[in-house]
Amino acid sequence: MNIIELKHVNKRYDDGFVALKDINLKIESGKFYSLLGPSGSGKSTILRIIAGFSQPTEGRVFFAGKDITDLDPAKRQINTVFQNYALFSHLNVFDNVAFGLKIKKRPLREIKPIVKDALKMVRLEGYANREISELSGGQQQRVAIARAIVNEPKVLLLDESLSALDKRLRKEMQFELRAIQKKLGITFIFVTHDQEEALSMSDEIFVLNNGRIEQNGSPIDIYDEPINDFVARFIGNSNILPGRMIKDYEVEFANQRFKCADAGMKANEKVEIVIRPEDLDITSPEKGKLVVTAQTQLFLGDHFEIKAVDADENEWLIHSTNGCKLNQRIGLYFDPEDIHVMRLHESQKDFNARLESYEDEEHDND
Amino acid sequence: MKSKHFVAKFYLIFVLVVLYVPIFYLIYFSFSSGRNMNKFEHFTWMHYQTLFQDNRLLAIFLETILLALLSSLIATIVGTLGAIAIAGLQKKWQQKTLLALNNVLIVSPDVIIGASFLIFFTALGIGLNFGSVLLSHIAFSIPIVVLMVLPRLKELDYSLIDAARDLGANNYQVFSNVMIPALMPGIFAGMFMALTYSLDDFGVTFFVTGNGFSTLSVEIYSRARQGIDLEINALSTVMFLFVLLLVGIYYFITTRKGRKGRKMVGGLIK
Repeated sequence: MNIIELKHVNKRYDDGFVALKDINLKIESGKFYSLLGPSGSGKSTILRIIAGFSQPTEGRVFFAGKDITDLDPAKRQINTVFQNYALFSHLNVFDNVAFGLKIKKRPLREIKPIVKDALKMVRLEGYANREISELSGGQQQRVAIARAIVNEPKVLLLDESLSALDKRLRKEMQFELRAIQKKLGITFIFVTHDQEEALSMSDEIFVLNNGRIEQNGSPIDIYDEPINDFVARFIGNSNILPGRMIKDYEVEFANQRFKCADAGMKANEKVEIVIRPEDLDITSPEKGKLVVTAQTQLFLGDHFEIKAVDADENEWLIHSTNGCKLNQRIGLYFDPEDIHVMRLHESQKDFNARLESYEDEEHDND
Repeated sequence: MKSKHFVAKFYLIFVLVVLYVPIFYLIYFSFSSGRNMNKFEHFTWMHYQTLFQDNRLLAIFLETILLALLSSLIATIVGTLGAIAIAGLQKKWQQKTLLALNNVLIVSPDVIIGASFLIFFTALGIGLNFGSVLLSHIAFSIPIVVLMVLPRLKELDYSLIDAARDLGANNYQVFSNVMIPALMPGIFAGMFMALTYSLDDFGVTFFVTGNGFSTLSVEIYSRARQGIDLEINALSTVMFLFVLLLVGIYYFITTRKGRKGRKMVGGLIK
């Protein structure tokens, strides 16, 4: 069941700026979604259109099958947690959380237990009488979440809600958000520019760039099978090299041929290949599939980040738990599955169809 | 360093003394039994007694306060709505034009405003009484309120309005539950300013008062022309205390919120 569907949504501003170009997306009930993209990619605009604060120039928005494009935000079963929390500073914590219920003229004896439960959900029991100015950033964040969930929305929108918190608190809130979503069983749509945040929390990610959806899929799909070099670069670190597909399951790059796990392309088609830095293992030059020379090495606590150059002056980024000696030849080993082949300008539809075609084939071979 | 500090302190005290000495001089002679302020004779409440028996003056005193309260209240309502309308204008030049027109009214001399009101009222055939004075006081207070409320509106976080709409508030509920409370400090400052402007206005009022009605400033002026009466000193003292009380109330209201908050922290920490 799709709880939210956007069909051919475009957004143009009066000054001619095009924020969204033909956005089509389907949001299923009860899942955690992330809209991930750099600033200006249109992710917040999508959120504002779903919430109803902004109207699409073209296209329709559907909620549980009904067209809600022109419906007032007050009448949508959708609530938002704003980037700066947008708490009412003239009201205390209780009145902030109870705001939506009081607007709906619910009697106070009904409101009290609901607010208490919501505050318990966000672990702020006993804070009901505090003023907003007395709360820390993380606590304000929780109040904003409680204020949204008391209205029992079907969908909760979170607009870069963790970006104002420090790193440790952010990590903590990521776990908590995920736990709250699981407990409520409602749909969360989370807007972020932080790829780590999106990968760790989401069931599904939409990667946006320049007002277009570049790719959508589970975090693992997006990380392991980026559709193009934008997604590959934006999600995690990558080594991206031009290559040529020799035939199915064989690719050429860095003037060598390698076995790979991709198929379904034309022979000799120009492609780009991606190898994640953590998939490269350092070994002796004889055992390595590639031979490179390490140039710089940074110790990052849980791993070393090594930059190396091969004979063709291609740069390689390697993440390794052990350091290596600089300015010496080292071998790099990787499995055929570690090579991800990307066709140039492939649409998501073709991409998915191609993956499915040869994945089925593999099953047939088994 | 230390001497510099001392000079600064001395200067501050000097300025305050210069500003307050005339007022205390007046207050001092309000207790003198003499007929003028040349020499303090001996202590008496005599002038206060005549003041409180002077029904005409007391009536004017009360009417002046009523006028100030009423005009500032109406001006605050009109001015706040006006400020919201100006802030809501889409085009920058419209905003700037309206703001300029607003500021012209504040800068222009009372005499001109008063005279123009006089011409306006007589042309329309409106009698010069409490109503005409009230109308003119409302009129010159509105620009002040607009000027005090507008910065608050500029600072207003518009995501608060989105949040309220998101939680189900209609336009009126957004206005009354979110906008007005957020603008309250500005509205309050504007109202207080309007109150003081109305209380001490002479220029405009002088033109638009008729036979039946007068404010304190106009009354004191007309009495002072006939020679100084120490009853006026007594009245000034009462007025000074009244203004002191008003300022006290203003501070009490504006700082109350903070004290409430602090008390609550204390209550929770125990």
